[in-house]
Amino acid sequence: MPAVPTILERPQRWDAAFGPDMTDAAADRLLATAPFREMDAEKFPKRTPLRDILRYDTRLLRFRKGEIIVRQGDYGTSAFLILDGTARVVLQPALSPASLGRQAPGKKGLWRTLAQLWNGARPPESFSLEQLIPSSEIGARQDERDVRVFLQDLPRVLDAHRTEQMRAGDFFGEIAALSRMPRTSTIFADSDEAELLEIRWQGLRELMKNDNALRAHINKTYRERALASYLRATPIFQRLDEAQLERVAGAVEFSTFGDYDWSGDYKRLAQSGAVRPEKEPAIVTEGDYPNGIVLLRAGFARVSQKTGGGERTLNYLGAGQIFGLNEITHNWRNPDAPVNFQFSLRAIGYAHLLVAPTRVMEEIVLPSLQKNELPPPVKAKQSFDVDPPETGARENVGAEVLEFLTENRFFNGTAAMVIDLDRCTRCDDCVRACASTHDNNPRFLRHGPGVGRLMIANACMHCADPVCMIGCPTGAIHRESFGGQVVINPATCIGCKSCANNCPYDAIRMVEVRDRTAELMVDQEGKAIVKATKCDLCVGNYGGPACQRACPHGALTRMNLNNLDALTRWLKK
Amino acid sequence: MKRFRRQHFWGLAVLLVATVAALGLDAHFRRALPDYAFLTGWILLGAMLVLTLYNARKKLPFLPIGNSETWLQVHIYLGFFTVLLFLIHLNFRLPHGQFEITLAWLFALVSGSGVAGLILSRVLPRRLATRGGEVIYEKIPALSHALKAEAENVALGAGARSPVIAEFYARRLAGFFSGPQNGWLHLVESRRPLNALIAGLDDLRRTGSDAERAMLEKLTTLVRQKDGLDYHRSLQLTLKLWLFVHIPLTYGLLIFTALHVVLVFGFSGGAR
Amino acid sequence: MSEPLAQNFDAQNYARPNQNWICGHADEGNPCRLGPDARGRCRATAECKPLLETKPGERKGRWRCTRPGGACESGPLPDGTCCRPIAKCSPAPTLRLIRRRLTLAIIAGSCAGLLVLLGVPPWRARFINPGPLLQPHSGAAFAAMAATNHLKSDCGACHVAGNSGPNGMVSAALHAQPGIFDLKKLAFAPPAEPTAMDASCLTCHAGKNFHQAAAPVISCVFCHAEHRGPVMAATTDTQCDFCHGDPAKMEVSRTVPVIHHFATDHPQFRFIAEGWRDPDTLKFDHELHLTGADIPRLPDGRKLDCGFCHQPDASGAYMAPVNFERNCRVCHFLQFDPQTPQLTLPHGSVEFVSAFLHSLPEQYARLAAREKVEDANGFVETKLAGLRTQFGSGVELERRVFFSTATFGPEAQIGTINGMTRAIFPGCAYCHEVKTSSVGSPEITKPMTPERWLADAKFSHAAHANIACEQCHDALHSRETADIILPAKETCEACHSPKGGVVDTCAECHVFHHLPDGMTHDEGLMTRE
Repeated sequence: MPAVPTILERPQRWDAAFGPDMTDAAADRLLATAPFREMDAEKFPKRTPLRDILRYDTRLLRFRKGEIIVRQGDYGTSAFLILDGTARVVLQPALSPASLGRQAPGKKGLWRTLAQLWNGARPPESFSLEQLIPSSEIGARQDERDVRVFLQDLPRVLDAHRTEQMRAGDFFGEIAALSRMPRTSTIFADSDEAELLEIRWQGLRELMKNDNALRAHINKTYRERALASYLRATPIFQRLDEAQLERVAGAVEFSTFGDYDWSGDYKRLAQSGAVRPEKEPAIVTEGDYPNGIVLLRAGFARVSQKTGGGERTLNYLGAGQIFGLNEITHNWRNPDAPVNFQFSLRAIGYAHLLVAPTRVMEEIVLPSLQKNELPPPVKAKQSFDVDPPETGARENVGAEVLEFLTENRFFNGTAAMVIDLDRCTRCDDCVRACASTHDNNPRFLRHGPGVGRLMIANACMHCADPVCMIGCPTGAIHRESFGGQVVINPATCIGCKSCANNCPYDAIRMVEVRDRTAELMVDQEGKAIVKATKCDLCVGNYGGPACQRACPHGALTRMNLNNLDALTRWLKK
Repeated sequence: MKRFRRQHFWGLAVLLVATVAALGLDAHFRRALPDYAFLTGWILLGAMLVLTLYNARKKLPFLPIGNSETWLQVHIYLGFFTVLLFLIHLNFRLPHGQFEITLAWLFALVSGSGVAGLILSRVLPRRLATRGGEVIYEKIPALSHALKAEAENVALGAGARSPVIAEFYARRLAGFFSGPQNGWLHLVESRRPLNALIAGLDDLRRTGSDAERAMLEKLTTLVRQKDGLDYHRSLQLTLKLWLFVHIPLTYGLLIFTALHVVLVFGFSGGAR
Repeated sequence: MSEPLAQNFDAQNYARPNQNWICGHADEGNPCRLGPDARGRCRATAECKPLLETKPGERKGRWRCTRPGGACESGPLPDGTCCRPIAKCSPAPTLRLIRRRLTLAIIAGSCAGLLVLLGVPPWRARFINPGPLLQPHSGAAFAAMAATNHLKSDCGACHVAGNSGPNGMVSAALHAQPGIFDLKKLAFAPPAEPTAMDASCLTCHAGKNFHQAAAPVISCVFCHAEHRGPVMAATTDTQCDFCHGDPAKMEVSRTVPVIHHFATDHPQFRFIAEGWRDPDTLKFDHELHLTGADIPRLPDGRKLDCGFCHQPDASGAYMAPVNFERNCRVCHFLQFDPQTPQLTLPHGSVEFVSAFLHSLPEQYARLAAREKVEDANGFVETKLAGLRTQFGSGVELERRVFFSTATFGPEAQIGTINGMTRAIFPGCAYCHEVKTSSVGSPEITKPMTPERWLADAKFSHAAHANIACEQCHDALHSRETADIILPAKETCEACHSPKGGVVDTCAECHVFHHLPDGMTHDEGLMTRE
């Protein structure tokens, strides 16, 4: 049915303040506090003055002793500054999953596996009370606005874990906020009435852009904490010795492109046609001088090429992939006939990336590589018929499929449920298999957007960038510590729907839970208890996802769409 | 065949080798052990049980006992091989007694429905995918109901003031929207009923006013959607219905087979 | 070709194809929250479950609406029930549930149907019979015979479990030897080994002498399949081959080599290979009779041929024995008085001949009466005087009749050919072995002409009627009685071989069973004590 296009104004910056109760007075108070006191307000552009950043992009939070501020492994889009009181960071060993409100990881035992034989008769969405009572190690309290989770037995935590105190003026969470990486450690309030300033990433980016001291601080922290180990794990740097690596690390710059909150309004924008490659922030523009290689650390970017009417997508790159090595290598080998960037690179949603400058590459990195590790030279006039190494996807899966996957951001999925409708007999064996591994409840809908013979079902894709995990107040939705699957702990889920609303793929569904007699569970108010549910990739199951193994015709697979090779192979199977 | 997959090649190769081997062994054993029907009988029964085990596998998706896909491949190829075993067991002769004829018929129906199901499972999904409009079978009645309500609203509702369209609706469309239609015709890919309705709507459009044209436009869309639903219902139902023969008769066959074993041993004083 | 996507359905909730029942309202697009229970009963009650709010210390309170999506306008009824009840539906079974029910129905129906069919004896017998019985094993005649042999009727006559119901069948199956699950024995037991079934066969077919003593006992059903139609199927070479084609099995036999097929490795017939001679004392020259220039034509003008003497017996399969009166006397009158050739000797007994010769006056008198001679006494006197002139005495006459073999010379007065006679009669010894005896009258050795040379083999002359006798029997070159003029293997093989195209199975000639003494295959195979 041709829908009337929904006209929607593109949301403007600062339409809504981060903290609704932020006042001008509070902003003024912050301006008088370190480190903002030291910042030069003149350096900020007129459109984004320092005061407005503080007014609209930050909020004041108060924590009581033992309340968790950030959890290790959570994804967050903001950084914190301690204004008053103290906080504690848990160093070694990390807190147990239970005390963070998570499910204990691990496989189902033999007994629980076999018990699924007779659990098939259970009423839909029925839970036992044990499943819904959270661990005794944590408690939760609800104030007028937020839910706070606190550690019940603080002395024991302090006893068993090495911790470190943080004081007023200390910054934390900025790397996770800017790079969209999981939080590296858990931090809880160490004094009653601890006051913290939460700065959302947009504000943090502005601050960092305009204040040299903060930028230097963050860059230093980043280099110290994350860069060296990351570079060490990147193949092209593997032949470098310690001293060389240090030099590279010193020269690498990092930056973040795009919009963290892409998931929220993305679908509506996409339907209104507002999303076009040309509108996406360009990281590299075709024809630019190759000033360095781009290492994508998180997020996604689109490789595109100009055509008569606009740009066409050739491929997309995910975390860990490199852009520009061809051109840099070519120029290093042929200084007489240098080429410019052959393609554009644009952030899809957002992209966090590192740039290793050309000089460092030519002096240190390229000489260290063997001949066969170097890419082939760039042909002078790259025609559309010739496939550059990083653009093969288009021909392999077809332009239509590539556009479809990109438009719907399906490359985010590391375990997307791909169904080949040419082979699928619609027997629902996958759904029934899912139900029998989840207490008689399916955890996905065998339906979803499709193109040609492909359908991406509404099943959790276990995204590389799990936007659902941003904003969960209790940490109920989290990554499993072994396999990295995104799972929800029903005991700590409070049914706030923030994950379901965040998910752009309709993969999370809210259900009204029942007891074993199929009666709806209600709270003291008589309202039904609601929990978020979704595919957990059969995390506790032997043999992997039951849906995939249950498909008699090999029509369903769980696939990492970050990399189209697997899709290509599967389609040609 | 559009895509002759490697697994097909190996499957067929193994089946071919097994067939030749079985026929060779049959010739050999028929000389060495002229009365070896019991041996082929037990092998046949074993094969039938392995085939039936696939049903059990489907009920145990949480156990790491192999992919359903692998199981199905084995099921298919072993199924064909079992037909050969059956013929060998019968020594390529037709049975005579009432009981044995019934038993053979059951076997024929079960294996025949299996072959039919295999063909359907390979042909119909492609047709469904080509047609598009993917829908979950259980949701079809609800969607159909909603389409009917919408169509009624367009043709007969408060805003509709067109006796011509109302008459056409009552005569041609009310029945069409009231339930699943043209199951068999969809199965043979006939678009005749749809085209007839569309042609009828087009005829009205030629003479209709602007308002009527808008209504007819809308009705045409609804008719196409309903036809798409009927198409999916027809094909998806067919994809499910063949199992109504295959699975129940399998259990009938197993019961008859059990009696066959009892009779063979009870009436022979040995395996003769 | 692609149609527009169907309207988006309720994607907020999971589709649950694993459930057996669908809410009756689902078809209208508004299934209720709870859904049917596991047994397909509607669980719908009302839109909410009002909550009683009481103040501390009070027992009465206010009912509050808890409807999801906001309280309704009118609120709960005073008794605490919701004011908006949901219409009960009749949940619909899913296709899978219908399929499961069909499966259960088929299982139950099969079990019930089989129990009924097996429980009613007449139905059972007809239902489980895997094929028509041999004609001798069916019908009223067999039933009568079964009754006299104290056998059970119907299937029970042969099968232990034949007259039992389902229980008995199962029990019989469980006690079968080798057992149901005795796979090793089932797979490797020699197939010809006797089973419990053979006992049933022997109840009637007792005393059957089964093949060579050294050969293992073989189950009847190894060769004789029952329930394959009213006529017993011929035994195939496969069954013979089971032993005779297997050198290991044939080790016990010192005389019979390994034989697979008649044409390939069947040895030359023994009567040729071992040079058998016919010990018969009768003197007969086939060559002379068939080709001799002096052999007169038969009374009807035909030339003497094989068929005049060798006539098929009633079955047509074999030749009836040659008989003197029928086949020989047509030429060999046994005349002894050249003047009176119409007076002939009797045949078959020395005593008769002797008595005949001692009563010659009487014999001539009877001849005179037969020929209506007027002067009978004169006739007798004249004849006796003639004899006396020729032989001298009665003793000499008797000696010559018995012992003379001379066809010419003084001894050859008997059997001259003239007038009415066709063949000379020199004396009995011309054909027979005649010995003097101390007792008085001479002894004639009784000719021992075997009716059939190869008694254990089957042959049908009728089936070979289109072939001339001499094609197989080389009588034209046989001058001695001692010649066994049966064909050699090569002669048979010319036709009975894959090349010749005529059936060449073992059973075509050979018979497996030995017969009790004095019984031929032509008499029925069934014997009773």
